[in-house]
Amino acid sequence: MKHGLLKIGLFLSAIFCFGFTQAQETVTGTVTDGEMPLPGVNIFVKGTSNGTVTDFDGNYSLSNVPTDGVLVFSFVGFAQQEIPVNGRTTINATMAEDASALSEVVVIGYGNVQKRDATGAVATVSAEDFNRGVVASPEELIQGRTAGLQVTTTSGEPGAGVNIRIRGTTSVRGGNDPLFVVDGVPLSGTNVAAGGSNAGFGDSSPKNPLNFLNPQDIESMSVLKDASATAIYGSRGANGVVIITTKSGRGTASRIDYSTNLGVATPANRYDLLGREEWLEAYGAIGGDVNAVDEGADTDWQDEITRTAFTQEHNLSYSNSYQQGNYRVSLGYSDLMGIVENSEMERLSGRLNINHRLFDDKLNLTLQTGISRVNDKRAPISNNSGFKGDLLGAAYRANPTLPANPDPAPEDFTGQVIPTSLLKFTEDETETDRFILNASAEYDIMENLSAKANVGYDKAESYRGFAISGDIQGIESAVPGNGRSQINEIESTNTLFEFTVNYDKDFENSKFDALVGYSYQEFERRGTDVGGWGFQDMNMGAMINDLQNSREAIENSIQGSYQQYGFDENGLFVNRLFPEIATDRPGAPSGINVAALAGDTFYTVDELQSFFGRLNYSIAEKYLFTATLRADGSTRFGGNNKYGFFPSGAFAWQMAEEDFIPDTFSTLKLRLGYGVTGNQEIPYNLYTSRERFGGVGVGDNGIVNIPGTGQVTFRNEDLQWETTSQTNIGLDFGFMQDRLSGSLDVYYKETTDLLFQTFSAQPAAQDFVWENLDANVVNKGIEFSLDYDLFNDEDFYWNLGFNISYNDNMVEDFDGSVQTGEINGQGLTNAYAQLLAGGQPLFSYYLREFGGFDENGQTIYPNGDVQTFTGKSALPTTNLGISTRVEYKNWDLSTFLTGQFGFYVYNNTENAFFTAGALNSGSNVTRNVVGNGEAANNAPDVSTRFLEKGDFLRLQNATLGYNFDINEESFLKSLRLSLTGQNLFLITDYSGLDPEVNTDKSLNGIPTAGIEYTTYPRATTVTLGLNVSF
Amino acid sequence: MKINLMKSTIVLGVLLGVSACTDLELEETDSIFREDTGEGFSGVGDVSSALVNNYNNLRGQLDTQENLYALQEVSSDEMLVPTRGTDWGDNGLWRTLHQHTWDANHQFVLNTWNNNNRNVFNLSEIIAPESNANPQQLAEAKFLRAFSMYWIMDLYGQVPFREVDEGPSVNPRVMQRSEAFDFILQDLTEAMPNLPSTGPGPDAKFASKAAAHYLLAKLYINKHIYLGTGSAATEDMNQVINHVDAIAAEGFGLQSGFFELFTPAVDSETIFFTETGVGSRMWNGLHYFQTTPDNSGGGWNGFSTLAEFYDLFEGDDDNNHPGANQEERRGYVPFEGTSPTTSEGYFAGGKDEDGDGFVDGSDIGLGFLFGQQYNLDGSETEDRGGNPLFFTKEMPGLLGNSESSGIRVLKYHPSNGAFAGHMILFRYADAHLMKAEAVMRGGSADASALEMVNELRELRQASPLGSLTDQDMLDERGRELYNEMWRRQDLIRFGQFNTAWEFKEAKGEFVNLFPIPSVALTSNPNLVQNEGY
Repeated sequence: MKHGLLKIGLFLSAIFCFGFTQAQETVTGTVTDGEMPLPGVNIFVKGTSNGTVTDFDGNYSLSNVPTDGVLVFSFVGFAQQEIPVNGRTTINATMAEDASALSEVVVIGYGNVQKRDATGAVATVSAEDFNRGVVASPEELIQGRTAGLQVTTTSGEPGAGVNIRIRGTTSVRGGNDPLFVVDGVPLSGTNVAAGGSNAGFGDSSPKNPLNFLNPQDIESMSVLKDASATAIYGSRGANGVVIITTKSGRGTASRIDYSTNLGVATPANRYDLLGREEWLEAYGAIGGDVNAVDEGADTDWQDEITRTAFTQEHNLSYSNSYQQGNYRVSLGYSDLMGIVENSEMERLSGRLNINHRLFDDKLNLTLQTGISRVNDKRAPISNNSGFKGDLLGAAYRANPTLPANPDPAPEDFTGQVIPTSLLKFTEDETETDRFILNASAEYDIMENLSAKANVGYDKAESYRGFAISGDIQGIESAVPGNGRSQINEIESTNTLFEFTVNYDKDFENSKFDALVGYSYQEFERRGTDVGGWGFQDMNMGAMINDLQNSREAIENSIQGSYQQYGFDENGLFVNRLFPEIATDRPGAPSGINVAALAGDTFYTVDELQSFFGRLNYSIAEKYLFTATLRADGSTRFGGNNKYGFFPSGAFAWQMAEEDFIPDTFSTLKLRLGYGVTGNQEIPYNLYTSRERFGGVGVGDNGIVNIPGTGQVTFRNEDLQWETTSQTNIGLDFGFMQDRLSGSLDVYYKETTDLLFQTFSAQPAAQDFVWENLDANVVNKGIEFSLDYDLFNDEDFYWNLGFNISYNDNMVEDFDGSVQTGEINGQGLTNAYAQLLAGGQPLFSYYLREFGGFDENGQTIYPNGDVQTFTGKSALPTTNLGISTRVEYKNWDLSTFLTGQFGFYVYNNTENAFFTAGALNSGSNVTRNVVGNGEAANNAPDVSTRFLEKGDFLRLQNATLGYNFDINEESFLKSLRLSLTGQNLFLITDYSGLDPEVNTDKSLNGIPTAGIEYTTYPRATTVTLGLNVSF
Repeated sequence: MKINLMKSTIVLGVLLGVSACTDLELEETDSIFREDTGEGFSGVGDVSSALVNNYNNLRGQLDTQENLYALQEVSSDEMLVPTRGTDWGDNGLWRTLHQHTWDANHQFVLNTWNNNNRNVFNLSEIIAPESNANPQQLAEAKFLRAFSMYWIMDLYGQVPFREVDEGPSVNPRVMQRSEAFDFILQDLTEAMPNLPSTGPGPDAKFASKAAAHYLLAKLYINKHIYLGTGSAATEDMNQVINHVDAIAAEGFGLQSGFFELFTPAVDSETIFFTETGVGSRMWNGLHYFQTTPDNSGGGWNGFSTLAEFYDLFEGDDDNNHPGANQEERRGYVPFEGTSPTTSEGYFAGGKDEDGDGFVDGSDIGLGFLFGQQYNLDGSETEDRGGNPLFFTKEMPGLLGNSESSGIRVLKYHPSNGAFAGHMILFRYADAHLMKAEAVMRGGSADASALEMVNELRELRQASPLGSLTDQDMLDERGRELYNEMWRRQDLIRFGQFNTAWEFKEAKGEFVNLFPIPSVALTSNPNLVQNEGY
């Protein structure tokens, strides 16, 4: 009835509009949210382009308003309102927050849609739902928050790498991380922080490339899951897309926000190692001479290398909106100490986001820019240390009677690596500066037509200095007495240019909008790696300085371009590629104060050029159609396969609008989507025969062998895109005005033409050649999420959120078999734990079957001393997130549980360190080794003995907060105190420290999952937070 | 105004769009792009640099105790790598090598195949006419290609070959042993005139006439094995003798002072060497507590020899300390370190970098480390359990060994630097013994086989033999050439590789060839798995 009246009213006013010369006047007023004035609210006269926005006190003034017109008030996050003028000159409006989940704006590729109109599987997590506490990088904000997204932090190190899998693992060899788009700039898939090998300790994992972003600057993260949503990103969409939007000043009147977090972290778990007396007893019991190994002390080595760590974080921002725009400027500082000594991550960040409109709001200029410095300090922890272990391995196996003195007198030296001396005599620091900018200009050419130009620039410079002092004793290789140092530098530049045109048109019963665009992106990456040996001053800072000065002296003395150089007792050599290949032996400059050093450079540029378009068409707001197409050209592919085409189509049906659907449903939407996306994450130029000088380094004898030139690839001109096609069926539902709402999605993803590094048919220029493997990886799964406001009263609010996803992974139609999952440790050289083969999931364990010990304490292998498939995989089949939030008056409590199920972890740490043989060789072991029936001389080969179920449920975080009541006259706008606990408990049967782990154990170029080896332990953190606004 | 703006926006957009369009051609920033067209080949970028790269590859491939070295040594009766509790299990790789139970998935079988075949391809690129190598470069490349191909033929019996213009989609053709033999022979023959006559000295790390003659002698002495003709032909044996004589004519000859040969110093025996660090020929056997100042981490406590092999040497059976009547080549285990001012013995005048009054590492023995080991100050070395470190002749088996079971073998010595870069590949004593063997097998020379063997034995301070059987010849080669990668080949030539020895049963003759790696079979259907695998 009401509607009918309104319609009649509108109809009448329309007739008046067209039928009569309109009376016009100026209308003024104030817009509030009921309490506070709202700046930046859009106001226009319905059916015209005449409009304005409220200023910062919420006031507006709009001229030429027909007395019988209708004003439309709109603002993001609030319900749109239409108010008939009815001859008034003052119209105040109160905007109501839009409670309905379905009218949320969802950020999709190259634009936004109302969630109601979305056709793809897209989940947006906004700031209020982020995980709280100490968060080093953005992915951790949304861990477990949405179905179908598996976020695994690879270790507990501050800023550790994070593996993100959206709907399973699709690629065997290409990258599996999703594409990250920060404020419209797609990031490059490569690592920007310098890192790499730790002379003598193996390699360490790269840190998370997103560490440069201050999580406090993020407004929302949008996860594009199905192909109909990601296909607009074409060749880079196969692993899903995560769109990060930073906070703007929109909707805030001049406001200062300050927040701080102060945290305390302690190791969440520790190995149950033997204490001094227990160890001596156990050692004696196994037949050792106790007196020979008793060094007299009682040292808890885990305590020696770990600590209670403090974290502080400060964020200050100022935001403001004014009539023609808004801006926000922020500064952040955080210092995350790691729970392992010598490890720390410090970040200083600044951000400025500006939005300004010109020419009657026709031109919209946006600038989003951030700058950051991240300082990482790392302890000598690696993925693949050998039999003496890295810092953690050495601590686990160290004799508990050995004094903790890092620098014993030579006669007290036992030949074991002393963990504390690894701490004392190594230094590893990386500084990474990053600048990211996105500037865009959008112009409304006509009422329905707008164009947008976008320029993105992302530059990172990283410098790492590593040194291991020659004063260290007890390690292999020629470090003692000589010392080794390394400098690694990387400079990455990512430049984007984009141009898009938008056209939309409303018809009587349908809507149409179209987007076409062109995008060009260039990725430049250059760097230098310098290694030095033979130092005068064994102070590590001095070593890095000496190496830096020496390299500068050499680099400054070299005329012209070069790839590499080396200096040793035979003098200096320079290897050049351009203008032609040459090895020069110029005289060495003065100022070199290391015995030998070698430097090598790299410099690659990749380009990506794309044309794309999207059509949305909706009929009666019930039937929604989307089609996209992207053509991508990439310098990663050559010959005939430079361009790939990635189409998608989707249909959504708002069934709740249909008469035959009972009114019980406030939302019922069916979504169907299909699309094709690609993957191009392979190394630089694999299709041309290329030559460069081989690797260079200082040998253990202090000599730098002069490299020659050789082919770096076995060129394959037929290389082409890896292609993933995905079908998605989804259902969104809601009851009781969406107080209870949820989604169910079913998908089937098939990846073909797998980019794969396979063994060359010899003889060949390289052992491996990149091919498109004629095999499939299939991921199929179900995702379900539910959100229920159990109570929604003024004083009491209780929300329960739940998401669960199931994914099944399988490699199909593959004839070969490739070993992967390298296992390291004493007596485990060349061991591996996984095999890639058809008919098995990726990362399937391939092990000896363990049948206990015989009467002599030797391992029994019931199926023989051979490795076979175990039927178990490292990939979780089920991911779970449970959240709840209770608000009572000024108090709020939110907790969040996350879990992963259906996967197995190979405990390489136990395999390498916690066996009877390890005890027998004078190492400490865990308590369960004592009396386990194993003989001292038993060989602990790779077997199911060390394979364990990884299922876990973690209380990821719990926050208790209190919002103070603020007096209206107060200079304060809000004040909040909160207490957050992270990783408060972990329920798991896994016997190691933590089953959520992924040590990089790649072998034969195949990445791995699920193997744990001397992984940086995870912390339990308690944080006190203060948020205040002025 | 509005229209102008609109127009200019569109114009700007189109301009930017058009100007930004790219042909996606990469520039040479990181590497030289060869100007190949289609499947063509335009030659390597720079021949001399490519040649350097190939010498480096060879060096890198030998800087390990794995792969080629392991296949030739650990599969023989002179070495075994026992599993010692948690040490050296290494997924069974060492045990299967010793027991001849390897299969086509053995990691070292694959790596050795890949390394040598890759060398062959890279060298073929230099040899191709498009590369315009000068005559000496061409000769060096052919020698190096022959060297790598020789190992493939010797180990696997089949040699795949890819032309330089064949891309990854082409399955390389496969040469059987006789064809490969001729191919290698031709490479060496063509190379010979343009190879330099280097003579003993630091340049022996490059290809030379002497090195080519040596490889030819190896080809001929094994020819009847490679071609399966049963017994050696007289003309082949005379070829061996001619090539060994040619090496001598290049200035090489026997030299006294057995262990001094295995130092970086110049000697007249080293025909071909590579500057690989010899750490992996020393530390793999030494105990953790046997250290030097530049490797305070000590040895890796793995590789040992068999009692039967040790017993081939002259000397008292029960110990190998000074005064045990041992021949020079058995070495000895000192009772204490040596002072740097001592004027005689192996360690005389050596380095004392840590200033403790002893030559660094002079407490570590030479040759065969058997029995109690001593520290520099004369105290007994202990193992990690505090027991005396006594290397035993007897071992319980391949599994279940203690830290001290097994005699260790040390031909290079850490007193010359923990990782000194000088590894001998071809040595004149081997050529000398090949000549003796060729005479024994029907060739004619200026001296008898027995005379030549005794000439060497005398130089090595071993008593002369009264007669010479096949077994004596094999044993003599073992005593002289242990740890130099020839034992497997010698055992095959004397028909003993597949016989039984300690911890190993007799096997069929098929073990004389390694299997073609399974991934190689998958990647090239022209290869057929060797019989027995």
